[in-house]
Amino acid sequence: MTVVDTPPPRLPVRGKPAATDGSWGGVSPMLTRLAAEHATGVLVRERGTLYLAEGRVAHAESPLTPGLDLLLTAHGTLEAEVWRDAVARADDRHGAAHLLLDGGHLTEGALELCHLGALYDAAYFALAPSSTPGRFRYGIAHRLGPVLPVPVADLERETLRRRELLRRIWPDARPDSAPLVRTYATAAPKLTPRQHTLLERIDGVRTAPDLARELGRQAFHTLVDVRRLAAAGLVAPRDAPGPADGGPTPTLTEQLAYTTDPHITLLKRLRDALEAL
Amino acid sequence: MANTETCLKEALASIEGATGVALVDYTSGMALGTMGGSKSFDLNVAAAGNTDVIRAKMRTMEHLGLKGQIEDILITLSDQYHLIRLISGRGGNGLFLYLVLDAKRANLAMARHQLKRIEEDLEV
Repeated sequence: MTVVDTPPPRLPVRGKPAATDGSWGGVSPMLTRLAAEHATGVLVRERGTLYLAEGRVAHAESPLTPGLDLLLTAHGTLEAEVWRDAVARADDRHGAAHLLLDGGHLTEGALELCHLGALYDAAYFALAPSSTPGRFRYGIAHRLGPVLPVPVADLERETLRRRELLRRIWPDARPDSAPLVRTYATAAPKLTPRQHTLLERIDGVRTAPDLARELGRQAFHTLVDVRRLAAAGLVAPRDAPGPADGGPTPTLTEQLAYTTDPHITLLKRLRDALEAL
Repeated sequence: MANTETCLKEALASIEGATGVALVDYTSGMALGTMGGSKSFDLNVAAAGNTDVIRAKMRTMEHLGLKGQIEDILITLSDQYHLIRLISGRGGNGLFLYLVLDAKRANLAMARHQLKRIEEDLEV
């Protein structure tokens, strides 16, 4: 009998680009610099826009998140007509927020909390790693007027905390942006009513930001729900295009990519989770 | 009608034994406003951690098939009380008020009652 005493070769290990990214504190050096010089203006980044007022973030907008108007009107807090009227009448001295409060359409607490929610929500996307540099234009203010400006350091800290929160729930980021499909888990956990409403609308076409807008919910909150559903095996990103009608028969690999067999989906989820470690 | 800061200030000033208070967004775990606390007691960290407490309790209630809503949760430490009061915000997302009390000075029944009143003032 031959005895082999050489150790087996080391298993290949993937590089961890995310780890090096995380060790670096800030999310945008440009934003840090603008905060230090107490700048006022608008910072346009690839996935969103931040409005600065004297170095603090006064508003944030992103095409991926529902705006403050939608958050306020979707649940009947405010009439869409009232919002449009306030924005139209807003000038440099009286922002739309001021007009809404003066007109008694909204309480200060409701406006502040909704505004903060929308701001942090849009900033999470605006501060996502981007491939193009941001641009800053000095001296531009938002029509809403000041509500509760947020220090840049707080916003950066919260954005990093949110990234980590999502990673802890489910490390694969694909469900954040891809069209979503429903999958069927063998032992699915009980869902909250919010998650049920979300799950019912998943149709293989719409993405998490689409669903957030449709439901009038913050996009980050929708990502939290989507990642929880992905972790439960109830939702998956539709990352590969489906076989076209009349096209070639899908190969075995393609068929496996769409399988709903619980054993195979479980193995795939395990593989994805291990790869994402 | 009051803004967030006034409400939190009032909670800290009017509730006997209160040492810290936070208004927290339940889904993200972010503190929308904090008042009090100290270097050794970071209310932002407490806010994020306590969302997991609420989630765990809600899940258990669903498993048990209980239909009632959580009004508040009390956590008793040897020297502190932590009181969590759930609120549903108008923006369609859940919030909670988180109150830290000094056990030696606090009147628990009174604190619960006052926290409820502050929730009404907040009109979120």
